[in-house]
Amino acid sequence: MKKDLSKVRNIGISAHIDSGKTTLTERILFFTQRIHAIHEVRGKDGVGATMDSMDLERERGITIQSAATRCTWKDYAINIIDTPGHVDFTIEVERALRVLDGAVLILCSVGGVQSQSITVNRQMTRYKVPRIAFINKCDRTGANPGRVVQQLRDKLGLNAVMVQMPIGLESDLEGMVDLVAMQAVYFDGEQGQGLRREEIPAHLLEEAQTKREELLDAVSMFSDELMEVMLEEGEIPETLIHEAIRKGTLALELTPVMIGSAYKNKGIQLLLDAVAAYLPTPMDIENTALDLNDNEAEKVVSNDPADPLVALAFKLEDGRYGQLTYIRTYQGELKKGDTIVNSRTGKKVKVGRLVRMHADEMEEIEEAGSGDIVALFGVDCASGDTFCAPELSWSMSSMHIPAPVISLAIKPVDNKAQINMSKALNRFTKEDPTFKTYVDHETSETIISGMGELHLEVYIERMKREYKAEVEVGAPQVAYRETITRRAEFDYTHKKQTGGSGQFGRVAGFVEPLEEGEYEFVDQIVGGAIPREFISSCDKGFQKSLDKGTLTGAPITGVRITINDGAYHAVDSSDVAFQLAAIGAFRQGYDKAGAVIMEPIMKVAVEGPSEFQGGVMGSINQRRGVIIGTFEEGAYTVVEAEVPLVEMFGYSTTLRSLTQGKAEFTMEFATYKQVPKTLAEELIKTFNEKKKES
Amino acid sequence: MAYTALTQQNPLRVLNMSKDSQMGLVMARAGLGKTALLVQIALDAILRGKRVIHVSIGQSIDKTKAWYDDILQLILQGHSVDRPHELIDMVSRHRMIMTFQASGFSRSRLEERLNDLVLQDIFRPNCLIVDGFDFASADRDTLEDLKALVETMGLQAWFSAIRHRDDARISPNGVPAPCHEVDDLFDTAILLIPQADASVELQFINNSSEQAVGGKGLRLDPTTMMVKER
Repeated sequence: MKKDLSKVRNIGISAHIDSGKTTLTERILFFTQRIHAIHEVRGKDGVGATMDSMDLERERGITIQSAATRCTWKDYAINIIDTPGHVDFTIEVERALRVLDGAVLILCSVGGVQSQSITVNRQMTRYKVPRIAFINKCDRTGANPGRVVQQLRDKLGLNAVMVQMPIGLESDLEGMVDLVAMQAVYFDGEQGQGLRREEIPAHLLEEAQTKREELLDAVSMFSDELMEVMLEEGEIPETLIHEAIRKGTLALELTPVMIGSAYKNKGIQLLLDAVAAYLPTPMDIENTALDLNDNEAEKVVSNDPADPLVALAFKLEDGRYGQLTYIRTYQGELKKGDTIVNSRTGKKVKVGRLVRMHADEMEEIEEAGSGDIVALFGVDCASGDTFCAPELSWSMSSMHIPAPVISLAIKPVDNKAQINMSKALNRFTKEDPTFKTYVDHETSETIISGMGELHLEVYIERMKREYKAEVEVGAPQVAYRETITRRAEFDYTHKKQTGGSGQFGRVAGFVEPLEEGEYEFVDQIVGGAIPREFISSCDKGFQKSLDKGTLTGAPITGVRITINDGAYHAVDSSDVAFQLAAIGAFRQGYDKAGAVIMEPIMKVAVEGPSEFQGGVMGSINQRRGVIIGTFEEGAYTVVEAEVPLVEMFGYSTTLRSLTQGKAEFTMEFATYKQVPKTLAEELIKTFNEKKKES
Repeated sequence: MAYTALTQQNPLRVLNMSKDSQMGLVMARAGLGKTALLVQIALDAILRGKRVIHVSIGQSIDKTKAWYDDILQLILQGHSVDRPHELIDMVSRHRMIMTFQASGFSRSRLEERLNDLVLQDIFRPNCLIVDGFDFASADRDTLEDLKALVETMGLQAWFSAIRHRDDARISPNGVPAPCHEVDDLFDTAILLIPQADASVELQFINNSSEQAVGGKGLRLDPTTMMVKER
């Protein structure tokens, strides 16, 4: 099995919160015989589902970290990445998508396409991940798979087509009609292990035939052969239909839709068959790497086990046995005892223990083939690092990593907590590139920053639970920035004569707003007004000035600085003198350049019953939000808005009481915008008071 | 900030309706630029300080917003504007998009939504754009009902309608099917007529007794879909 890549599937399972990802994953693991009892996510046995390996996840009933697990279905090896559903953790979702070849998009048969499904779908489109849809919870009251399929078309723009049709719905869900084989499928036994195929019940036959026609119409355009057979009105072989569906799916032009109920154990085996039949093998997907020895030229990885190794470390975990690094190979083989090189650091690493993960349990292996997902022990690296054979220096293209928008001050309660906290922070920053930490030199506080309130809350919880680090948590702070709004000249001379060698440097030029980018330095010095060797000192000085703005101490971005004149002294000019001159010059220009404060704006989507729409819009309006639009569908409405992050603190509580808990919201960072005048004045006042105090 | 220069250069200034509430209609075959024209009408209103509700039937928020972004970019490219970001920001504050499924759109729904906004003082529209309204299956009562709403709320409303090549019915005023029986409800109708040089001519049909509006010789540029004076 190990060398045949056509029998390998690397898949992810993505969905909206509460659509049943974890339950479905659990069932898949059960049916692939890796675990023997199914634990419910919020089960009474207190064991929790197998994929949620962290206590915290068990308690909250949500999946935070993606764990990779391997299972075997018929003769296919399936690696499953369980991806988190909350938008605060999108970096996790995105990182998982990077190493996947295909995905199952789960949708709730009642809730349909919800806001998170839209985000996830967008991410999948960005990473060109072929997907199949699984409409879960067909046993629930209000289940309507037909409506969900329509939403897949309307809201996500997918060419969704049902390959199954339910037999009964809600509490009467008995099984489904397989529209390819034209058979009724039932699931017998307490856990649905007994799959029974029968003739389609007479009362459903006509509907099934219509649905099958729809299916054939949609897929025939992907197979000339199928089209021919259809035109000749001959018997259509099942394999021909499967092939056409597969072709359409791989081309991202078709999304086959499966149905079922993971909780009631219905449809899982058919979904696994579909994963094997329709989702891509590692060879079907073209992945590229950047050759660091060739000016970062793009190279297509070969998937050939005979080629030198290229592998991506996509996830780190700190387990009982030390650091575990999840790795996906793109070409070559990874063997125990091999020496591999981290192409970011250039460090050589010896492959020690190599394991295949099944959520919390592991299996020791000797080698991993190309296209596989395995885990390494005791390798020091960061998530997103590429490992290569020594003769190569390739890097899998960099992942899109957003900058943190929110920060918190944390303070350990005692000495022991202090030590544990730094261990934990060290670990988290390696695991998650969107989580950052630093010590504020003015207040000596440890600051953590990330993508949202929940994102940071989860890490604080993990510190407590996994590292026994109790910390006091300050109020969340938004990451403000400063920028300028107009061009301003500067001409500054730094002069110091206090015995010994003096300091002298004059720097002149102007600052101006830079629409795109953070900082640009332009050197227009002619005739050696500032000697060559001190130009970089000026640049350094300017960059230092950008660390802290004068209004609120926030970093300054969006500035282009041009120097066009200056003066030096043969003896007294030095690197330091010009750096200080540049700092003085920048201050001078900055004060005149109409400096303003910028705040992070989040794109917020609130989804709930239409009756609450008025209230929801009111609540967004009160939070200085700009409503972009509303999307009405049946009894549900989505309100899309842009709201300053600082106003979103505690919004979940407001929303809950406003809508009797029936609405939910997601948000992601959109852009930075200027804060209104009154708020800016307040921020400046607080900053000045703080400065005085210290 | 005033954008008088922009509005004065806008060929669409002729549409600047004088009455408080008014109904306009844009008609064309599919793909000729109805939405592009409606968005330009909306942007013209916004630049004159009005607030616009854009009702999009059967289209997503993102797609509708993309129309505005694209056309605004074209305007910015064609004119020098001091602080483009302020203009973009101003437009997003003066515009709200409402999308409905074809089956979910009705006067009562729309009225409820508009009241949500007005009563809480979230957004007070002056102009209503309705894109994608299905005239073929709407009866006269529905439209009269909508007109009554437009009048009560004091709005200037613009609708779009698709005409079909094979439907030759036409009103005495020259308004083709499917609007030939309701044309009296609209003060102005603009027909988009494709020309031999691939541009699209705007043909104005004026219903009100007032002096005929101008607009002779306006065209849609086939590459940008922007309104141009000949």
